[in-house]
Amino acid sequence: MGPIDGLLYGFSIALTPGNLFACFIGVLVGTIVGILPGIGPVGAMALLLPSTFALEPATALIMLAGIYYGAMYGGSTTSILVNVPGEAASVVTAIDGYQMTKKGRAGAALTVAGVGSFVAGSLGVVGIVLASAWLAEQALRFGPPEYFAMALAGLLLLSRLSGGSVLQAFVLVAIGLALGTVGMEPISAIRRFTFGSTQLSQGIELVPVIMGLYGVAEVLLIAEVGAKRALIASVKLKDLLPTRQEWRQSAAPIVRGSVVGFFTGLIPGPAGVLSTFISYALERRVSKTPERFGHGAIEGVAGPESANNGATAGAMVPLLSLGIPFSPATAILLSALVITGIQPGPLLISQRPEVFWGVVASMYVGNILLLILNLPLVGLFVSVLRLPQHVLATLILLLCLVGAYSLNNSQLDLWVLVGFGIFGYILRKVAIDPSPLVVALVLGPMMEKTLRQSLFMTQGSFVDILSRPLTMTLLVLGLAAVVVPWVVRRLRGVPIVSLPDATP
Amino acid sequence: MTERLLALVVVAASGAYLLSAWPLPAGTTARPGAGFFPLAVGAFGALMALVWTVSAFRRRAPASEAADQRAPVEGFGRVVATAGSLVGFCLLLPYAGYPGAALVFAAVLLRWLGAGWGSALVIGLASAALSYYLFGVVLSVPLPRGILFD
Repeated sequence: MGPIDGLLYGFSIALTPGNLFACFIGVLVGTIVGILPGIGPVGAMALLLPSTFALEPATALIMLAGIYYGAMYGGSTTSILVNVPGEAASVVTAIDGYQMTKKGRAGAALTVAGVGSFVAGSLGVVGIVLASAWLAEQALRFGPPEYFAMALAGLLLLSRLSGGSVLQAFVLVAIGLALGTVGMEPISAIRRFTFGSTQLSQGIELVPVIMGLYGVAEVLLIAEVGAKRALIASVKLKDLLPTRQEWRQSAAPIVRGSVVGFFTGLIPGPAGVLSTFISYALERRVSKTPERFGHGAIEGVAGPESANNGATAGAMVPLLSLGIPFSPATAILLSALVITGIQPGPLLISQRPEVFWGVVASMYVGNILLLILNLPLVGLFVSVLRLPQHVLATLILLLCLVGAYSLNNSQLDLWVLVGFGIFGYILRKVAIDPSPLVVALVLGPMMEKTLRQSLFMTQGSFVDILSRPLTMTLLVLGLAAVVVPWVVRRLRGVPIVSLPDATP
Repeated sequence: MTERLLALVVVAASGAYLLSAWPLPAGTTARPGAGFFPLAVGAFGALMALVWTVSAFRRRAPASEAADQRAPVEGFGRVVATAGSLVGFCLLLPYAGYPGAALVFAAVLLRWLGAGWGSALVIGLASAALSYYLFGVVLSVPLPRGILFD
């Protein structure tokens, strides 16, 4: 099936009433969690995962993906209106977006952010189609050594790019890989680290770990700060139209942001956050009047807002074409695929076209829904912030508890949730981003399997594994990402700037 | 201080992990066994955790952490209360069942976080009932009903 036929087939799947409704629920929930501080897209996806067990695979994925990109729209709304980014990828938007609100141009900022996100999402769909089809075709030739090298290089890159030091990220990677070894070992059926528990022999569930690290930990931080009520600026419908000059100033940043975002999304790491920083820096660099940035420059909203949506599209490529997730959000999408009985990987496009094309087309449909939902209803969405924080915190925790329990009806999942919630809170207190742990937990079993298969294949020769061109290239790239900045720092004697908060 | 403590805990945990991985059959590089990968991961984790600990002790506490230590004790009290409520819910669930445990959890937490007893009870009751209906009835999750009903 060619890209055009595939997309048309995808629209026939995405536009069925059930899938359209799932897409609507996904983008609606995404918008709301994007607005609310305390639960981000990853936590919300983990929360809703149990409710997708009974759904068709394509429907489940359409809904969860809707939360993922929907949150990027919602996050910009509160950044612009209240200077409170609902999620990390909207931090940069607040810089100029809030200044525009103070100057009475909130409506224009919201519209440009919405249209930019829509354009980036739509261009991203084209990117996914082209990149995934090509990559999946290449991936059919990959053997276990290539898969192992890809996962290892991904973890190395992620360790470099996530917030905090590489050393701390390596420790989290080791914890994630170690957690992935708990349970029944698939080849010889030996139970590892189960301490006699039958529940532990099934392994440690990803979802309560994510709910703990991203949901419970955030609520504990809210509890620490105490109740705060946001002052919300009101926006009238007639103020939503940007002026002709504002449109002109935004057009090129939207296109540049979309492209930067998509390519950043392909790289393992906190792509959503990273892409906004890159786009903002790029716009300031190419601007003839960089002094306007920080004082309400519309380019500072248009570029980053397009970039974070482009990045969500880019991050879907390794998941859909290789079956490898490089971010916590795509790790949940992978879980949803596995739970519904689908083997993710390069054969997904040919064997389950309804899932691949359905999800890709639904992203386009979802972007249209988001544009319709977000602009006229912006006042209604922002009023969600008026909900007292202690009520919000209690509701989120209760949903996390019942959601974690409903996975396997197991008390163990509840303890995992609480344990990782407290661990996640401590990590935030020492400014460490938990995403390397999550991605390592997902990739760990695959890495163990492919490493052992590679060693069987080569009779234990690491040289044979490394001499394969792609394996070598990937590992060199991964190592260079870690070593080169360190060497440069030593030579120049300057510290490397890392992202302040790089939660994807 | 927090980072140093965390690093020490991770060193201890990685040591315990390595010890538990030791009896597993490691095999050879040509025929790796069930213990091969855990031993490699454990050794890598222990080494990284040790280096982290040493660097955390050699470095002066970052400004953000120093500021955190001056944060009001009140805020930390709310964190402990919230974490305690979560632990309480897990302990209570097998005996009180979901509706009972959820009601107690929500009401107590709301009260701790600043709501009055009246609104804490009303919101607690509403959220327990709503979440039970959503998961227990609509999604047919077999939530425990407690020793009084089972």
